[in-house]
Amino acid sequence: MTNPERALSRRRFLKTLGAGSSALGLAGILGGLDAMAQEPSAPRSFPDFIGPSANPYWNSIGPFITEPQKAPLILMADRPVQLETPRHYFLSAFTPNEAFYVRWHLETLPNSVDLKEWRLHVEGNVGSPLTLSLPDLLSRFKPVSIAAVNQCSGNSRSRLQPRVPGAQWGNGAMGNALWTGAQLREILDAAKVKTGSVQVQFEGLDRGKGPEGYGSNRFMKSLDLNDPILEECIVAYSMNGEPLPMLNGFPVRLVVPGYFATYWVKCLSWIRVLDKPDDNFWTKSAYRIPDTPGGTTTPEDAKTGKVKTIPIAKMPVRSFLISPDGTGKIPAGLPLRLRGIAFSGYGGIKKVEVSADRGANWLDAHLGEDLGPYSFRTWELAWTPKRPGKYELQVRATDEKGHTQPDEPVWNPGGYLWNRIERQEITVGSAA
Amino acid sequence: MSSSKRFALSSVLCAFLASTALYAEFDAGFYAPERAGSIRQTLPHAAGSAASYEVGAYPLYPVNLSPGDGQSEVASYCNTCHSPRYITMQPPLPADVWAAEVNKMVKSHGASIPDDATQKIIQYLQFHYTPETRKK
Repeated sequence: MTNPERALSRRRFLKTLGAGSSALGLAGILGGLDAMAQEPSAPRSFPDFIGPSANPYWNSIGPFITEPQKAPLILMADRPVQLETPRHYFLSAFTPNEAFYVRWHLETLPNSVDLKEWRLHVEGNVGSPLTLSLPDLLSRFKPVSIAAVNQCSGNSRSRLQPRVPGAQWGNGAMGNALWTGAQLREILDAAKVKTGSVQVQFEGLDRGKGPEGYGSNRFMKSLDLNDPILEECIVAYSMNGEPLPMLNGFPVRLVVPGYFATYWVKCLSWIRVLDKPDDNFWTKSAYRIPDTPGGTTTPEDAKTGKVKTIPIAKMPVRSFLISPDGTGKIPAGLPLRLRGIAFSGYGGIKKVEVSADRGANWLDAHLGEDLGPYSFRTWELAWTPKRPGKYELQVRATDEKGHTQPDEPVWNPGGYLWNRIERQEITVGSAA
Repeated sequence: MSSSKRFALSSVLCAFLASTALYAEFDAGFYAPERAGSIRQTLPHAAGSAASYEVGAYPLYPVNLSPGDGQSEVASYCNTCHSPRYITMQPPLPADVWAAEVNKMVKSHGASIPDDATQKIIQYLQFHYTPETRKK
């Protein structure tokens, strides 16, 4: 039955009822339910692809799917697994483990880990190589906890113009957890790093089908031994008070607070102290950003090959409006709580501001509990749209170092570092 | 007619005071067919207490690549390291970007693809997945 036919028959049905039927109670309930409906239309879903224009939606456009230990998440890719966290999970400061996004580089990722066999090896240019079991990590080192945001270097890549290849994330390739584990510094000290060492390399259990010696075979990342961030790194065996999901790096993963997730090696099993700089693909050639303000450049300059690049490191300041999300219409005059999160890899959030008039005026949002400098900071702001129409809400954060979000788009060939001021259009309808 | 004013009335009183005048204010009861169960719930994992921690298989979610010349080369070579969703998840990309991507797989990632197959894969992607050519 088509919609007009259906509508006609409904009216006829009700008319019949209304004309003296004794089933008036039922008709009244139907009438009440009627008020919930708007246009009769089939459910609408995202198209199969968006482009070459930018993805205008908060999340990427993939379907919801399930994976082991996970709530339904947005599918980017099934092998190797890449899953995005839906927007509404960011209403809270901590992202639930089952909703935490997933991104692997190599397709042979562990389906099981036998802790009787599994060891964390600390080797290379050290005086006392270590072979640590999970009980060793739990008992021999002081447990420390830190709330820290893990964000993919390519989060929001689908915003770039022109579009660049790679995982076409919306904004959901990020999450915040309370990570508990052993301090990397304590482990390195126990292994007695030899003088003359320059870097420390991390590798997990994942392997690829590519040939030996290539990035398609093994994934490894290194940090400089003189990088102050090493003092804050932990080898985490607990995530939000639970074991890590396998897809997020069970049994332990490296936590590098403030740094993009490419360094947060999952299923961490080898820590290697190097006496010369790491020349493996993932450290030397991949995940590099232009050495320019904001890491941004142009396609023309990138093509010349003359843009100097440096390894990606700290996450620039970002903020997000999570609710309202623009999926529904809001009656004019209804008091709203605008809610969202902010974070920066450079330290805590000092200020979050919201504009409802395309950046002309900014209102200070109320910041939620301070969970530490590397955590999501929730914010909210009471706001009432006075008149019907379209509103563009903008949100921008400023961190303790004084960095604020740019209003210019970011572009680089890798699709990294996007942190432009977010915008959300909402529709306000007449209330009477 | 304004339906909102009368909604409050209808929800509270209509069970007793139904009249045809009210019904015309509202519109409801429309549904569209959709297949249930496209996301199935998973059973809790039946785990023993030994030291082995397993989660079972990671599901594959097949995707239909556009049929055409070169599709079998994509299936035999690209599929070694990643599923075809790595192709379909991309936005439409210009022809030179596709060529660069495939060449990156060969040169930077060591994919052992014969030269003629490399060319066929590039042509396939350019034929189906550029801003000018992509259909779905």
